[in-house]
Amino acid sequence: MASTPSKSQILSLFRSLLRTARDFSDYNIREYTKRRTIDGFRHNRHVSDPSSIAAAYSDAESQLQIARRQVIVYSLYVPKLKSVMEIKHA
Amino acid sequence: MASRLLQTLKTTSPTCRLLSHLSTATAAVAAKESYEDADGISMKGVKISGRPLYLDVQATSPVDPRVLDAMLPYYLSSFGNPHSRTHLYGWESELAVEKARAQVAALINASPKEIVFTSGATESNNISVKGVMHFYKDKKRHVITTQTEHKCVLDSCRHLQQEGFEVTYLPVGSDGIVDIDQIRSAIRPDTGLVSVMAVNNEIGVIQPIEEIGKMCKELGVPFHTDAAQALGKIPIDVEKMNVSLMSLSGHKIYGPKGVGALYMRRRPRIRVEPQMNGGGQERGIRSGTVPTPLVVGMGAACELAMKEMEYDDERITALQKRLLNGINAKLDGVVVNGSRERRYAGNLNLSFAYVEGESLLMGLKEVAVSSGSACTSASLEPSYVLRALGVDEDMAHTSIRFGIGRFTTDAEIDRAVELTVQQVEKLREMSPLYEMVKEGIDIKSIQWAQH
Repeated sequence: MASTPSKSQILSLFRSLLRTARDFSDYNIREYTKRRTIDGFRHNRHVSDPSSIAAAYSDAESQLQIARRQVIVYSLYVPKLKSVMEIKHA
Repeated sequence: MASRLLQTLKTTSPTCRLLSHLSTATAAVAAKESYEDADGISMKGVKISGRPLYLDVQATSPVDPRVLDAMLPYYLSSFGNPHSRTHLYGWESELAVEKARAQVAALINASPKEIVFTSGATESNNISVKGVMHFYKDKKRHVITTQTEHKCVLDSCRHLQQEGFEVTYLPVGSDGIVDIDQIRSAIRPDTGLVSVMAVNNEIGVIQPIEEIGKMCKELGVPFHTDAAQALGKIPIDVEKMNVSLMSLSGHKIYGPKGVGALYMRRRPRIRVEPQMNGGGQERGIRSGTVPTPLVVGMGAACELAMKEMEYDDERITALQKRLLNGINAKLDGVVVNGSRERRYAGNLNLSFAYVEGESLLMGLKEVAVSSGSACTSASLEPSYVLRALGVDEDMAHTSIRFGIGRFTTDAEIDRAVELTVQQVEKLREMSPLYEMVKEGIDIKSIQWAQH
């Protein structure tokens, strides 16, 4: 069994998720992934039980794998036009 | 090719503009074609600079990347038919379908054996309404439904009427909620089905499903609810709600289009006559190869919805408040259609007085919203749902439905508020009716001259 992840491992996973989120070409998915990561980690801030921490950590790891794959898929089919939210508002 | 040529002609010298005037026929054809260039897209005569921000979640929702991730393997290597019994491709496909079935069942507190996969909520509604009544046609000849149901339910009821069944279309209050006592008094010994949708797609009101279910159980009448808009958004428990049949849709909960499900209670057993005949798949209720990738997508979407429901609901409620407060701060004469208390937060249907709906929508090209539901927008008539609420014709015409979903951002809401306020103010400035109102004249007392 994997031991309880250390604080630095958790922080590293958090940063990886945010970095991956930044690479999404779709505005809504990008913003959602960033927000959900921050809110998700913040929600679990006070979890102290080691097995719960390990479970949350491995869940976040699988989410990171999913996000990495989907960033690639989304980048293959970028629409020609950006969202109006990404265009400088006059 | 021709449109590009015409475009360059139009943008170059004045002599070329003369040429373009001569070829008006080709110009008319070229205008209808859509073209896309570096700084915008033109479609159906509208030019916009970027993809609109999406506030039409009730029409359909984007597929969640986590759902897409679950679906893709079944379009790539694991492409088997779940009904193939003799090889790995079939076995792995069947496993995936059964896993999805359990995921859907878990979201509504049902048993996987009670879930039948269909092509969508429309098909599930058809099976529920027509299938039930055809099965029990010897003893049961009466159906009760409401005036605000989805078109597929109303059309199925009309079909039954043509076959000789009787249907009672109950009215709703001005808040959109149906009166339980009216249902109770409409029930007859030969009533075979009561069908009331859980969350309305146009106005977002939540019907009292638990109370109706309890009453139907007491009186022994099967109860069907169309939960396409409710699934994954409000907690659904088929035991608490005492429903016999429930229609579910995949593409309203961030899943793929083309898939839905039907919940059919086993205790007490409700039986239906199948609408799709064939090889007896899905326990004979719905023949046809079960589309593994779509079904896997729906299952993944349901599992996600269970995990994310609380988080999404909190955010969407806050966003709805932000939208409403933002609009009310700058505009008067804004009416929320439907009950304020019993409503799903992600659906906000507003009417703007003294403004024409179509022109408001044309001005809001950077916001993807709808007025009336997507299914009925082909006609020019105001939505039948708003008419059932007793909304005046002029207010019904100016209604806009804002849909807030999982992926809507704060910035999008602020932008939508800004654009809506801008457009409404612009239209009101041009409106002579609004001028009269500001001077204190009562619109309703005006005698319009006949021409």
